[in-house]
Amino acid sequence: MFIQLLFYGFVFPGLIFQILCAWVFEWLDRKLIARFQRRVGPRWFQPLADWIKLISKENILPKGSNELVLTILPILSFGAVLTAGMYVPVAGFNFFSFEGDLIVILFLLSIPTLAYYLAGIASIGIYSFLGGSRSILQFFSYEVPLLLALSGPAILAGSWSIQNIITSQLSKGPFIIFQPLGFILAVVGLIGKLKRDPLDIPKAKSEVVAGALTEYTGIRLAFWHLAMNVQAVLGIFLLINLYLSWSPMDIPLLSTLAFIIKFLGLVVMLSVISSVFSRLRIDQLADIGWRILVPLALLQLLVVIFMGF
Amino acid sequence: MEKITIPIGPQHPLLKEPLSLLIDIMGEKVTGGTLRLGYVHRGIEKLAQSRNYIQNVPLIERVCGICSQVHTTTYCYAVEKLLGIEIPARAQYIRALMCELERIHSHLLWLGILCKHIGLDTIFMHTWHDREMVLDIMEELSGGRVAHAANKIGGVRFDLDEDHGPMVISIINKLQGQIGKLRDMVMHEPTIKARTEGVAPLSQDDIRKFCVVGPVARASGVDVDFRRDDPLPPYDQLDFSVVTHTAGDAWARTIVRVEEIEVSMKLCAQILQDIPDGPIEVRASRRVPAGQVVVRAEAPRGEVVYYLRSDGSDSPARLKIRTPSLTALSILPKQLSEIQVADIPVVVAGVDLCIACADR
Amino acid sequence: MVQDIITDIESETGNDCQKIDSILNEQVLQISGEDLRQVVEMLKQKHEFHHLSAITAQILENDSDYVELLYHFWKGFGFTLLLRLKKENPVIDSIIDHIPGSDFYEREVAEMYGVKFNFRDGIPPLLLPDDWVDGPPMLTEKKA
Repeated sequence: MFIQLLFYGFVFPGLIFQILCAWVFEWLDRKLIARFQRRVGPRWFQPLADWIKLISKENILPKGSNELVLTILPILSFGAVLTAGMYVPVAGFNFFSFEGDLIVILFLLSIPTLAYYLAGIASIGIYSFLGGSRSILQFFSYEVPLLLALSGPAILAGSWSIQNIITSQLSKGPFIIFQPLGFILAVVGLIGKLKRDPLDIPKAKSEVVAGALTEYTGIRLAFWHLAMNVQAVLGIFLLINLYLSWSPMDIPLLSTLAFIIKFLGLVVMLSVISSVFSRLRIDQLADIGWRILVPLALLQLLVVIFMGF
Repeated sequence: MEKITIPIGPQHPLLKEPLSLLIDIMGEKVTGGTLRLGYVHRGIEKLAQSRNYIQNVPLIERVCGICSQVHTTTYCYAVEKLLGIEIPARAQYIRALMCELERIHSHLLWLGILCKHIGLDTIFMHTWHDREMVLDIMEELSGGRVAHAANKIGGVRFDLDEDHGPMVISIINKLQGQIGKLRDMVMHEPTIKARTEGVAPLSQDDIRKFCVVGPVARASGVDVDFRRDDPLPPYDQLDFSVVTHTAGDAWARTIVRVEEIEVSMKLCAQILQDIPDGPIEVRASRRVPAGQVVVRAEAPRGEVVYYLRSDGSDSPARLKIRTPSLTALSILPKQLSEIQVADIPVVVAGVDLCIACADR
Repeated sequence: MVQDIITDIESETGNDCQKIDSILNEQVLQISGEDLRQVVEMLKQKHEFHHLSAITAQILENDSDYVELLYHFWKGFGFTLLLRLKKENPVIDSIIDHIPGSDFYEREVAEMYGVKFNFRDGIPPLLLPDDWVDGPPMLTEKKA
């Protein structure tokens, strides 16, 4: 039993699996964006090579900053996303589901955002401060539509456990058919959460150099990157589970294959969106977030509730 | 909310060359900025006085990387006026061809940089890929991609073969399709418009007060182009239009530059069609008779002015260069006082700074 | 055109204004240093000379008691105002109130040739670093 728990915790769906997925996601993303820009792009082991290079670099922090706080924050983010990853079903394999795990996962996944903000404040440079404050402003604009969009499937399935939502989709069909608007809003919210183009305002390279992580170096930065990439992977898994999980037959191999294809499809979509749009301004984002996205999300939710599925 | 000062530069991802901009912000609003130049000051005016006229040609070429051809062209015309010689027509046309090609690649570079700073890396990569086509032409003609060493006092240093003409025309035709697509994208793509429209508008009054020149002035409706107003040969025999726009904001400046690329491409085709045969140089003496001359030309960024005084020896007594980037920098603090923090890249990139030109 | 300008200057300032043919391509008028602000204001308002291309400062080798300042204007043709300042005490009025674009040019002339400008709130350096102690670079005899 203990050995089994260790396996779950460290191999699948725990540490090693999530790190590997994060690196695969990062490579796919960078390669696709590079090909869209007519470049060659990195080779398959680039994210691993970058990680090894980062952990071998010098660890320096700005003078006068609190070393304990700045060290804990990436560890906290990484731990939070790993914990959340234990509860997200992957291709039908799920070991720890319980009623309400969707809410716990969403809560755990917002810890990295808060940690990013605190890192921006705690590293006392001017660019970090600006990046951190922008990330909180952005958080207020995308989080409400994202949470509303991710609650839609739960209301439709009548349960707050992801496993039950998946089971409900297996009989009714993928929820994207019933809530296409919710899916679009969830994708937009995910782009905001992951701070990807067009919503990479907190880390806009020409304005705030590297955002809240400007002063980070070495192994702490390596863990920040890992936490961000695992968060991305978990976000995609959540989207697949809540909106797209339906497979023609209940054979494990086929459903795994279907899951992988959906994962790749979502990564391609995110990369295309990143390549095509320019960055929004923070006031434009706040405007779009509260004037367009939140009313649409509420509309979608009302449709779901009152249609009485 | 308290006022904080962001230092942009001397090293910053936004700047290609070192410049120190201290921008005061309050929240997300910019309240002002101060400027400090001199990080790339090489003392070219003083250096020019201790070198002879022929040695000065490579020195002047290195005032700026992107507008090197127009600087040497202006300098050589100034010296030739003092010498009282006129270079052959074929040399004039070759000089103009290199100037126009340089204008195309400078504007393409600028467009890529602007899109990179607003987050659209894809257009940045595509524009610079197209710019490679122009650099290949220049390498084929002169041997250098950016520093061509095309001019000498008395003419040009290389001639065009029979197959150079058709080669240039075919590459320009290929480029025409790309520029057409870019133009459509800049005019109609919603995110580019959303980021640049209405940002830091300059009225005609501001342009006049600060003596701004170049595409920045033309984007506000001031119709000035020194290729038409004070033409160096052969521009007085060439037929081209001057692009102006009325809005005066960052979007207008983008449109003006993209349309100028198209005008320059037509000019290149016209030059290659009209180019006469003949020699490409005349003999120029090393000693220049005493005299003073002022020559103006149109660089990609505006008006470049050369004042040259000679005292009868073989090195200049005084060489004064006024580059257009200096005027763009003088209006930058005013532009910075009315925008938001997220517009800083658009404004700073939108005036197309060439700090090496400004510092000399 | 230039004759009208000469007449206007002479009537405004009461001083003589000489037309010199020293520069090819340009119409050059020599005025005295005290008249500069008046002349520039008159040129701007009456003849609409807004565009100042450059301010050149130089020292003539055969007449090295003077710093010569050239103000290059452009209005369809090149027009230059020439004036001479004594080298021991080169003081001139600033035209920054009339033409704000002359700010950078005046700062460069001030730091390179040591010219002092009145009617300005301070003249911060433009190109030289803050710890430059050697004096105006263009006045030295050192070869670069």
